[in-house]
Amino acid sequence: MNKIIVTIIFFLYLVFPGVSVSGSQSVLIQNTTIMTVSDSGILENTDLLIENGLIAAIGKNLNTNDAKIIDASNMIVTPGLIAPHSQLGLVEIELERQTRDDSTDHYSAGFSISDAFNPSSTLIPYNRSGGITSAIVIPSSARSIYSGMASVFKLDGELVTDSIAKDIAMAVSFGAGSDSRASQILMLEDSFEKVLRFKDSREQYSLIADFDYDDYTIRDLEAILRVLNKEIPLIVRSNRAKDLLRMISLSNKYGIKIIFYGAKEGWRIADVLAREGIPVILDPMDNIPDSFDAIAARMDNAALLNAAGVKILITSQSTHNSYLSRQGAGNAAAYGLPQDEALKALTINVADVFGLSKDRGSIEVGKSADLVIWDGNPLEVSSFATAVMIEGHSISLISRSRRLRDKYLIELGLK
Amino acid sequence: MAMNKKLLTVSVICLLFVFVIEAQENDANVIRSDPLNGAYQSTYNPERSEKILIRNARILTGTGEELVNASILIENNKISAIGKIKKNTKANIIDAKGKWITPGIVDIHSHMGVYPAPSLRASSDGNEATDPVTPHVWAEHSVWTQDPQFTLALKGGITTFHVLPGSANLIGGRGVTLKNIRSVTVQGMKFPKAPYTLKMACGENPKRVYGNREQEPSTRMANVAGYRTAWIDAEYYLKEIERYAKTMEDNLPSDEVDPDQDEDEEKPPKRDLKMETLAGVLKGEILIQNHCYRGEEMAVMLDIAKEFNYKVTAFHHAIEAYKVADLLADQGVCAAMWADWWGFKHEAYDMVWSNAAMVDQAQNGTGCAIIHSDSAVGTQHLNQEAAKSRAAGIRAGLDISRGRAIKWITSNPAKALGISDQVGSLEIGKMADLVIWDGDPFSVFTKAEKVFIDGHIKYDSKKEEAFTRTDFDLGIIDPEDTRL
Repeated sequence: MNKIIVTIIFFLYLVFPGVSVSGSQSVLIQNTTIMTVSDSGILENTDLLIENGLIAAIGKNLNTNDAKIIDASNMIVTPGLIAPHSQLGLVEIELERQTRDDSTDHYSAGFSISDAFNPSSTLIPYNRSGGITSAIVIPSSARSIYSGMASVFKLDGELVTDSIAKDIAMAVSFGAGSDSRASQILMLEDSFEKVLRFKDSREQYSLIADFDYDDYTIRDLEAILRVLNKEIPLIVRSNRAKDLLRMISLSNKYGIKIIFYGAKEGWRIADVLAREGIPVILDPMDNIPDSFDAIAARMDNAALLNAAGVKILITSQSTHNSYLSRQGAGNAAAYGLPQDEALKALTINVADVFGLSKDRGSIEVGKSADLVIWDGNPLEVSSFATAVMIEGHSISLISRSRRLRDKYLIELGLK
Repeated sequence: MAMNKKLLTVSVICLLFVFVIEAQENDANVIRSDPLNGAYQSTYNPERSEKILIRNARILTGTGEELVNASILIENNKISAIGKIKKNTKANIIDAKGKWITPGIVDIHSHMGVYPAPSLRASSDGNEATDPVTPHVWAEHSVWTQDPQFTLALKGGITTFHVLPGSANLIGGRGVTLKNIRSVTVQGMKFPKAPYTLKMACGENPKRVYGNREQEPSTRMANVAGYRTAWIDAEYYLKEIERYAKTMEDNLPSDEVDPDQDEDEEKPPKRDLKMETLAGVLKGEILIQNHCYRGEEMAVMLDIAKEFNYKVTAFHHAIEAYKVADLLADQGVCAAMWADWWGFKHEAYDMVWSNAAMVDQAQNGTGCAIIHSDSAVGTQHLNQEAAKSRAAGIRAGLDISRGRAIKWITSNPAKALGISDQVGSLEIGKMADLVIWDGDPFSVFTKAEKVFIDGHIKYDSKKEEAFTRTDFDLGIIDPEDTRL
């Protein structure tokens, strides 16, 4: 009987190697430096025990009977990095429309992308090998100024994977475009007002056949209502300092939670952002004044925001290279952001802002064992992940890119 | 009238004569395919620099070496000594203990100035996407000298950069090599005596741009037909010029020409801007810089060069260079590569992190690898791009020293731009273009501390206020303040 169960479990592993099966093997990571990104700070010469996919214990000289041992001396363990703003799983080749699922012409605010996520995308093992274990996946555009709703995925690449959390934030773009930014504010306000009227008489609305409320379907209105009810935050993609202030007053008027994305001029209003408790998702390396919305872009934006007390989340602007958020964090550190804050901006800050910190974002007992073992400082461009774990399972670091490398190293006689 | 005509004929003959003779010379200092009368030439002429001795530094020379506790002496805009140098009381001393020195970084692939910031339609002048073959356009005639991206790049150690037309066209036009100094004229930025270059583009971009207009080329095969057609025209033009020059030469001296025969006298071929550039390539004076991603396309481009007997100097954006690394090394063609960009189009799908390292190591380390970024952000951190590529190479089991990898952003691009006799390495007699870094240039935490161009400190992180901004930066945020 036991044999049969073992065999079944064995076959389950073959078919779904990443699926948590109760009684999965314990893992003990030994003699390592742990950057916990929690109140415990950095722990040297420490062990970390993983049981049932969770962090079971952290301490010196941990004992275990049957755990698989990983010697990680001279290595550094961090939480798995969380990409705060990407189209991972939605885009394969940017210029090929049929490989993209990150936009729609049909829906606006209510555009949920969770059903489009492709766990077999080549971007997933690739970015995982760069240390990303989960991602906030967010559409790039939809009808009107809304872009739709973000969901969270782990990057285990399993077909059975569904979102960790669905429709957890909504995105909107605000700034220079073909239409006046004043008009964009009006559109946003109008949409809020419509939703408030819709809320008061939604039964009637839903009875009307072929309901058409300008740009908004009922799905869109329901989604915006969640923002107005403060159930989910609104991610505002905007750069100009004055635009950020304008959005802050609008958010206060309607009592909604906002997160800024971009905020290239954020440093100019850092104290306001800190006072209002508004987090900022940014690429610290993007210091190009590439439009009249971003004239004041600068390399130390991340450092200045952090120093003022703003919670920052560091992203890469390239979905294909989402893992390069690490290089961005390193550069932010080079320009004044403390290194521990830089690592937080890749992990716990993302988890906090998107409501994932109960299970993810730091190395604490009871949290999911989403971990990366690095061969050097995780902020350094020459460091590599030597092991990546998602929910306690060691995940392959092989990507298609790596396969190509190995094939041609042999062909060139370099291996 | 007849007299005037005769005079004109003689002067044209003389010019062509010079043209042909010069083309046969092999003197690197003679710039050919240059316009007549010295037009458009570099007017950059740096002031004589002070004598400066930089001591106690760790130096990556750009020749492959790494010197420890070494010094560099700068005199008259040039490097006059390197290595162990006795303390020179007449020189200004800079103590560089704990610091690193590299040659000034050379960015081989830039669109700064032709796609300046802010990105506006009014100044986006990099692609003459109205015809797939535009060898007559020159990037330097689009450059906006007040692009704030120039100064950002300077802070990252970029002392020389090569501005190219975009990749919409099969043959996009001439590129220009600039020194990263502030000038209100592009002539004032032009790298003295740098050869002209010609931008060509393979693959998806030309066929997409013109294919979308139901125009040729809409396929890769029409791309190739387009290049070959252009070279056939260029061969014909060059032969006509040479034939005419020969005819005139045979008829000289022609004092006894019968005035009645004026009617039969052959007219000089009309100047043709497109053909002048292409003929310059065929004569070996203009260097091909070829945007080309795929391995098989690079091999085809090399066959076109074989058919028409010219040389491809470098492939740019060579995502698949590692697949044809032996071929490139055999033919002495450089590949300029990203550290890790990929996936924005299908021809960029097969990227590997160790591309540059594999190209470098091909055929017993005879490959010519260059790291580029094609980005105004990336160019500010080209040292980090090289660091990533080096680390990937090491991880792939390849032995890549810092001294070797720094060549990817210094001497190798200088070689591919035809300026390696002047910059790209720290050797006696070369221009004093160098960077003092506050640490290992292969670390993300390291920044350029002082950037020298021709012996002058153009950027000093300790004296931000003394740094020359572009006009754009003045009063643009706050009327009384300067951006950055």
